[in-house]
Amino acid sequence: MTLEQLCNKIDLKKMSQFTDKEINGVFVSDMISDVMAGAKSGNLWLTVQTHKSIVPAANLVDVSAVIITSGKQVPPETIELASKHDIAILSTDLPTFEIVGKLYAIGIQDS
Amino acid sequence: MVESTNLEQIKIGKLRLIMLMKNIKQALEASVIAGEEILDTSFEHVYASDLMSDVLAFGKPNSILLTGLATQQAVISAHMAEFKGVVFVRGKLPKDGSRNFAINHQLVLLSSSMDMYDACIKIDSALHKRTKIKTTGSKESRNEEMVLCQEFEILGDDFTSAGVVSTEIKSILKKIGFDPKLIRRVAISTYEAELNVVMHANRAKVILSVTPYCIEVIVDDAGKGIPDIDLALQAGYTTATDEMRAMGFGSGMGLPNIKKNTDQLQIQSEVGKGTRLECKFFI
Repeated sequence: MTLEQLCNKIDLKKMSQFTDKEINGVFVSDMISDVMAGAKSGNLWLTVQTHKSIVPAANLVDVSAVIITSGKQVPPETIELASKHDIAILSTDLPTFEIVGKLYAIGIQDS
Repeated sequence: MVESTNLEQIKIGKLRLIMLMKNIKQALEASVIAGEEILDTSFEHVYASDLMSDVLAFGKPNSILLTGLATQQAVISAHMAEFKGVVFVRGKLPKDGSRNFAINHQLVLLSSSMDMYDACIKIDSALHKRTKIKTTGSKESRNEEMVLCQEFEILGDDFTSAGVVSTEIKSILKKIGFDPKLIRRVAISTYEAELNVVMHANRAKVILSVTPYCIEVIVDDAGKGIPDIDLALQAGYTTATDEMRAMGFGSGMGLPNIKKNTDQLQIQSEVGKGTRLECKFFI
């Protein structure tokens, strides 16, 4: 499934500018250290962290998108940096648990 | 007139040397006519000719043009052939419209008093020198096979801008065309090292070098040093502050993750002086 297809199935707000990418599984963590160590290439990364350091982390681990959950406000500098590096930032008002349920229901599973 | 000097000779396999406009400016003692702010642009080939029909027929994208033809046609031809810049040799200065055209189309224009022959030789020797510089002081002699060597600096106090150097290194390796999985390992290791520098050191020098067999990233910091390296390599051991942890860093996974992602890791550290990390990734 690609990010565009995902956004058509689940109500996610596109925060940054990005090119469409293939999704490969999900990684949930608010510890960036864990993301660096455990996330796989192509994962959707779900977090409530919004500071701009999430962008280099997402870029270097090659996640397909960062989904900011629980309706957290994303600072403009994070969005700007993400757009510059073609990193997809999506946001939802749902808490992490509920969005994970929805992702699972539409068939996104860890590879 | 000198025939084309192509830098393809330095290609080894898929590796390619990346040279920057500012290196050319320096090598040719050239003045900048346009594009002062984009001198960090890289290029891949050099094409030397005064015949614009040849430039259009044989020039490769991402080249720079060395020419004695100081007309706007030279600049337009370079743009059409997707070149990155033009060097006017023999001290020629292009006609008025050229500068505006270059600015509008993101081309660098340089002017050098050297003739075409000398300019070609200077670029060639700058290339070879560049593959050798910055390796002095290192224990191993690895000059001959060096394809790329670039130095970066990390400033230790700026926590929020951590990732700039690793992102840059990632894009350099991507441009060269390495396997994405290998690039990912280098990128993750470099980012972890960069985070360690911003958390624990004042500043660090990062040296990226690429040979046909190996990518090496050296991170040499002037920080407080690691008293017990074995302990620091244990997953979960951390000396991070609460602020760092609130941002999701500092869970004691940095060095272990670097170890996991590198093929060979050497750590030298002296308390009060600094830490030097040598990460090797075999191609």
